[in-house]
Amino acid sequence: MIKHWWKVLGAGLVLYSLIVGLSVPLKSGVLDVSPSMLQGGKSYDLIINTYNATFSDENPIDVWIKVDDDNALAARAVKVLGETKLSAHFDIPNYFPNEKENWAYSIIINDKTNGAFIRPRSIAVKFDQINKEIWKNNPVGSLYKIDKMTFPFRSVLYETIRNTYYHVPMWFAMTIIFLVSVFYSIKYLRKKDPLVDLKVRSLTTVGVLLGFMGLITGSLWARSTWGTWWTFSEIKMNMAAIALLIYLAYFVLRNSFDDEEKRAKISAVYNVFACMAMIPLLFVIPRVVTSSLHPGNGGNPAIGGEDLDNTMRMVFYPAVIGWILMGIWLATLLYRVYKIEYKLLDDDV
Amino acid sequence: MKSIKFLLTFLFVHISILFSFAAETDDIFFRSGKIYIVIGVIVIIFIGIILFLISLERKVKRLENQININE
Amino acid sequence: MFLVMKNIFLHLQCMNLGTEILVLLKKELVLEWRQKYAISGILLYVLSTVFIVFVSARELDPSTWNSFFWIIILFASVNAITKSFVQEGGNRQLYYYSLVSPLAVIISKIVYNVGLLLLISILTFFTFGLFSGSPVQDLNQFWLAIFLGSLGFSITFTFISAIASKSNNSATLMAILGFPVVIPILLMLIKLSSSALGLETKGNIDNDILILIGIDFLLVGMSIILFPFLWRD
Repeated sequence: MIKHWWKVLGAGLVLYSLIVGLSVPLKSGVLDVSPSMLQGGKSYDLIINTYNATFSDENPIDVWIKVDDDNALAARAVKVLGETKLSAHFDIPNYFPNEKENWAYSIIINDKTNGAFIRPRSIAVKFDQINKEIWKNNPVGSLYKIDKMTFPFRSVLYETIRNTYYHVPMWFAMTIIFLVSVFYSIKYLRKKDPLVDLKVRSLTTVGVLLGFMGLITGSLWARSTWGTWWTFSEIKMNMAAIALLIYLAYFVLRNSFDDEEKRAKISAVYNVFACMAMIPLLFVIPRVVTSSLHPGNGGNPAIGGEDLDNTMRMVFYPAVIGWILMGIWLATLLYRVYKIEYKLLDDDV
Repeated sequence: MKSIKFLLTFLFVHISILFSFAAETDDIFFRSGKIYIVIGVIVIIFIGIILFLISLERKVKRLENQININE
Repeated sequence: MFLVMKNIFLHLQCMNLGTEILVLLKKELVLEWRQKYAISGILLYVLSTVFIVFVSARELDPSTWNSFFWIIILFASVNAITKSFVQEGGNRQLYYYSLVSPLAVIISKIVYNVGLLLLISILTFFTFGLFSGSPVQDLNQFWLAIFLGSLGFSITFTFISAIASKSNNSATLMAILGFPVVIPILLMLIKLSSSALGLETKGNIDNDILILIGIDFLLVGMSIILFPFLWRD
């Protein structure tokens, strides 16, 4: 059992990421606001659809249109239409202190049971005439905070933000496993031990499996958030595809040799060469492609910023470590089978 | 290689079924906060691991047969 | 005393390597001259591909011009370089190997292929110019891209051809093994040449060139380190 601690750890971390990643609820959020185009000087009943919130008549609910950091407009009356549906009455004045063309304002909702939540840039206001005197500031008051553990609510993503714990670790595990295979390829070239070549073989097989799982899950996720199964302007997808192409080519190369020693040697050389040829891609990519839909590129916030908050990190990092260990576990299983196969063949000869 | 081919074809078949299902039901996804996408992702990973296990079992079976013949 | 000895020894070694490379280069040239069909085949290949491109597309806007140009060069160089190790049968290779060092073999092949690819690229460029006029605005930068491209392609494909020649179906393997590996170079080249075509603003061109040179150095280094593992078996 002591010897197997890392397998237990890997399985445990993956299990933890499954349980916690699926059971922690999302923070409350605003799904949509209608109407979203408002005219200065008129009154509106804004219908606000929310997600993961439970409103009731007992708690007072505040709704603001946030104009800028200091100024906001409060709703005159808020009605609860359903558990997740609100109607907020606003009298839009003829002037907002930050008055810009095509500027969209945020909506803030605040109540005791759900805490405060915001929908950035959800309302546009147009002013036909301007009357600066009429502005009366109702700054955003003290906001409720809830102590419950929640994952951030992102429009478009919604619940799929949880895929961070299932899709992303595939790539991390794949990369690590390919790097380990390159390490063993170098070791093979130095030692010429056929068992080391079997290690490379099993590692690359598992790496390709992880890569395909990452590709397919990513494709599914992309369909739901970006609307396409595949986009060529998306550099992380291209890089993943290149890595997979290299290793599929690696298997074709392996299979074109009958002689074991030759196969092991030449595929090891290719593995090292291809890996080294990929390193420049890390420098090339940011220069060639300036736009990316993934976080961390082309103006999207990076991991470490808003995209991965502390509660998400508590699940994400364990999931990555867990999947790396699981990948290595699968590879060792395969390696043992290959090893037995090899020894049996040796005995026959 | 054979096992990988087998694995890939099966993955693709399963996934394409899932995809066609997904395309028709964007609406349901939206209302439920797209939780089905997460379930789909987990199912894909599960299928991947199951396929790996199946191919591993076939290999082990081959080895077992070999040993029986040898004995 | 020891240092002087060592220096002389090193010098001698360099001389040896240098002469070996020169001899091998001469051999490549003579071989090429004797089998004129090979090189003329490649040149004809370039001509006919360019012809087909312009017959089917008639008019090319600069960005398509750019990508067609590099794709034609890519395929032509795969075709040209495939033979560099494949055409020499196992026995003849064994004979070389007993005479010269592996370093001389790989370096001479790379140098020879750089020349060959330069020839192909220049020919492609002029044929393109003949058919459609050239949209290139910064000619110097474009020549630089062509030179760096020939260098990168020839290093990568020469090494890949050394790998592929060990197998029986080397022609297929060349493309499968080579294309994923060459993508970083291709991306950088297209970027460099598209700024020479005036499609992109010229920011940090020096940096791009440095990266390309860096890639070339890395690949040469890897080829030199890894080739000795390939050469005798």
